[in-house]
Amino acid sequence: MTTETHNPTVQYAEDVQVGDTIPPLVKEPITHLRLVRYAGASGDFNPLHTDPKVGEAIGTGGIIAHGMLIMGFVGQLVSDYVGPQALRKFNVRFKGMTHLDDVITCSGTITKKYELNGETRIVGRVQAADQNGDVKVSGTFEAALPTRS
Amino acid sequence: MFDKNKLGQSFPPFTIEVERSKIHELALAIGDDNPIYHNREAAQAAGYQDVPLFPSAPTIFNFWGNTQFGEQLADAGINVMRILHGEEEYEYLAPVYPGDVLTGISTIIDGKSRRGKDGSTMDILTTETRYTNQQHQHVLTARTTVVVRE
Repeated sequence: MTTETHNPTVQYAEDVQVGDTIPPLVKEPITHLRLVRYAGASGDFNPLHTDPKVGEAIGTGGIIAHGMLIMGFVGQLVSDYVGPQALRKFNVRFKGMTHLDDVITCSGTITKKYELNGETRIVGRVQAADQNGDVKVSGTFEAALPTRS
Repeated sequence: MFDKNKLGQSFPPFTIEVERSKIHELALAIGDDNPIYHNREAAQAAGYQDVPLFPSAPTIFNFWGNTQFGEQLADAGINVMRILHGEEEYEYLAPVYPGDVLTGISTIIDGKSRRGKDGSTMDILTTETRYTNQQHQHVLTARTTVVVRE
């Protein structure tokens, strides 16, 4: 495991403007193994995410990914952009099911920049979509950034 | 049909200690190799006191902190086998680090019934969990909205 530091894309309020694009994050295709690992890590053992027989029985076309895994992918996008401790709010809506072999791309744009209680806040719109452009998750985040001066 | 009498109902408090290895495990499962989530020295080199919370880490507190939550929802009359996750929201109010002991209290804050175009009904239910740390500081709020199909 590397211990090389991994700085966020933006660290100061001056570095961000409304309309900026967040560098997209393309994840590896969803595998059964990833869903099993995610179940153990998160504690969500609902078998519709891990047991193909259950996936077929409930008519979802096989097992489907945890929505929270896809929120986690978007979390990685936001973490890479501003770092975890700048985050003040993060919310998503789950729009569609993610299946095995889907390739999820996370992306976002900055929609607002304002001052609140003496700190600069930025707000961004984020989403995760599959290889066909079908949106799985959409949401927003808000972060507090220090100023350079 | 959502029973409006359930609005405001809280579930028993639960506690969970924040663990470095669980953050490492979650970031591995998501595929985020940022060393700040995997190694205390790397986190400190990047300016953090210790390994920071991954943005979606509150889901660990929800599932591992309260393994009875499904049964509690069932006892409140919610058919947990018919649940779809609709929305998830976090407010991060103060830093949380490994070793912190969080106490969570979940409350049903919103609920309504909707009739679909095909005549079926669904309940839309929102729970809010407020987490305080060992100093009784409110550090995190999580809101989860689920859709329960009839």
